[in-house]
Amino acid sequence: MLLVAAALPLLFWDAGPSTAPALRDAHIERIAVPAAQEAAWKGVAGIVVQAADVGRLRKLAVPSVEYRPDQASASRAPWIQSNGWEFVRAPGAHFYYDAPGKAAGLAAAEAFSYGADALIHTDAAGLQYFAEMLAFLRGIERLDLPPLADIAFQDDGGDTAGEVLNLMLRNNLLVRAAAAPDPKAKLNVRLGSAQFPLETAQDPAAMAHLVRSALGDDHRSIRIYGTQVVLARVTAGGGRLRLALLNYDGARRKVDGLHVRALGRFPKHTGAVAGGAAQIDDYSLDDQATEFTLPELKTFAVIDLSR
Amino acid sequence: MPGPYPGVVVRVHSESCLDTERDQANMESVRRMVSAGMKSLTGAGSDHDAWTRFIAPHDVVGIKVNCSGAPRICSAPEVVGAIVENLTAIGVPANQIYIYERFANQLQTVPYAKFVPPGVTIWAAEESRGTILGYDPHTYVECNFFGEEDTRSNLVRLVADKLTKIINVPNAKEHQAAGVTGCLKNIAYGDFSNVARSHQYEKTNTYSFIGTLASVEPVRSRVVLNIMDALRGVWHQGPFNRDPRFRFYPKQLLIGTDPVAIDHTELDLIEAKRKAEGAVSLWDRSRSHLGDNRDPNMNHFIREPGHIEYASRLGLGIYDSSKIHLREIEL
Repeated sequence: MLLVAAALPLLFWDAGPSTAPALRDAHIERIAVPAAQEAAWKGVAGIVVQAADVGRLRKLAVPSVEYRPDQASASRAPWIQSNGWEFVRAPGAHFYYDAPGKAAGLAAAEAFSYGADALIHTDAAGLQYFAEMLAFLRGIERLDLPPLADIAFQDDGGDTAGEVLNLMLRNNLLVRAAAAPDPKAKLNVRLGSAQFPLETAQDPAAMAHLVRSALGDDHRSIRIYGTQVVLARVTAGGGRLRLALLNYDGARRKVDGLHVRALGRFPKHTGAVAGGAAQIDDYSLDDQATEFTLPELKTFAVIDLSR
Repeated sequence: MPGPYPGVVVRVHSESCLDTERDQANMESVRRMVSAGMKSLTGAGSDHDAWTRFIAPHDVVGIKVNCSGAPRICSAPEVVGAIVENLTAIGVPANQIYIYERFANQLQTVPYAKFVPPGVTIWAAEESRGTILGYDPHTYVECNFFGEEDTRSNLVRLVADKLTKIINVPNAKEHQAAGVTGCLKNIAYGDFSNVARSHQYEKTNTYSFIGTLASVEPVRSRVVLNIMDALRGVWHQGPFNRDPRFRFYPKQLLIGTDPVAIDHTELDLIEAKRKAEGAVSLWDRSRSHLGDNRDPNMNHFIREPGHIEYASRLGLGIYDSSKIHLREIEL
């Protein structure tokens, strides 16, 4: 099973060596640059440089939320631009973000959550946010835990399956791509089966709801209450559960409180919250689950639960 | 709920309680209305005896106001002020009195502080709209209406943690989804988070959700008194009050312990007003009347006034008109 290596994302920087002081001020010590600039950067003190051809990388969306109040929709839930499905579909691939401004920090956090190999290009305004997030990520204990998935999704690699995968992850349904049915999974999903017909999949949101119903909320390893813009990436093993919580609207506003229910009894917890105090409230255990409140989430938090 | 006086509704009307030209309530008239209503409800000879049937000096008292139509239509500060006067008169310290509502941005538009003594707390569950921090994570109703991801509605923390008694002070308003909003809805949707999800689409879930929330403990046992402020009312486009055409002035208070009986009385009041205005009944369920509600015959939802009768089946009060004892007082 794939282990999440929790690699740190790398800044892709296409400005010249004259910008090196800004990078040093931001404590950026490694960058990727266009091949044409590699020579110019060689020898710049304090910065390790590698060349990258971003044209060969999978380009990702800017992590964000679009409210689209002017568009009719089957749901009033905001539209989350998440790349989770890309990482789940191709976990060994190499990725590239073009994330200006505050989104650079969100992109770094998203890539880290999935242990993705990602380059992040940003602008001068985004350098600070990327650097702050990178500093935060450096402080996170490395845990090589496998992703936790309730659903094994037989991904045919097509557009429809990709969008269904996207909608499931955007609804905090923990899913992994599978080549064949997994008898250990709580739920196996194959588009085109009698239970999950292709006609329903033409509306990926409807299919995601169908999958959710088939799984049952009580069987979901993670539930998030109080916000529609926070998605969780969960890894688990050896009596530990790691929740990476990303506020996709973090470039605009913080979330004033969210409540988490995680299946399993975990009496111990630690947490790290980017840009804020690692405060966890209302911590409680019932027969089946652990619950807690995170009183504030600006962009990203990593919560470790253990037995 | 329904408390010691099931089926009893005291209606106190005073023509002098409101200057409709200036939209200004008369504090002294309101005091008299509250006094007369409380004494009629309880049979007590004095305000002190009437109020001590429900509240003791050691209680921590919440006054659940309704500010969703504020500042024009809300639990009037004069009514709330008169209630607080009675509470302090029987010995409840000001610092044990809370005026509360869910949304700070609505609550702050009403000058309650001018009508109550220092020490009374004016508190909102959501200082910033949407925050869950003002709600108890351990007391909730969980259900999935339309596939929404957040399936919980949590109880206001103040109610869960601090209040020992609640006085419910709703308004008399038509409600586009529920039919009317009165005692039940003010205490249900006004005490729980994430309730707007019940009425996102034309066909809503207000019919059963309102009574279900109102019957949750400790809400049910801590609401000891309902004083409906019907000095002003809304007969269409409620619960807000953006169009003055749909405002009216019943100049009444409806007082009792039975929220169902009061809400049924309110329903009759608003239905009669709509009939007088030539508007379709609150019970109308025709899809041809769905649409732009600037026309009083149109609405965005199929109304569910049956939520009141449903609440009676949960034991929250008396719905049967033949068993409701309406006491009319004219001042």
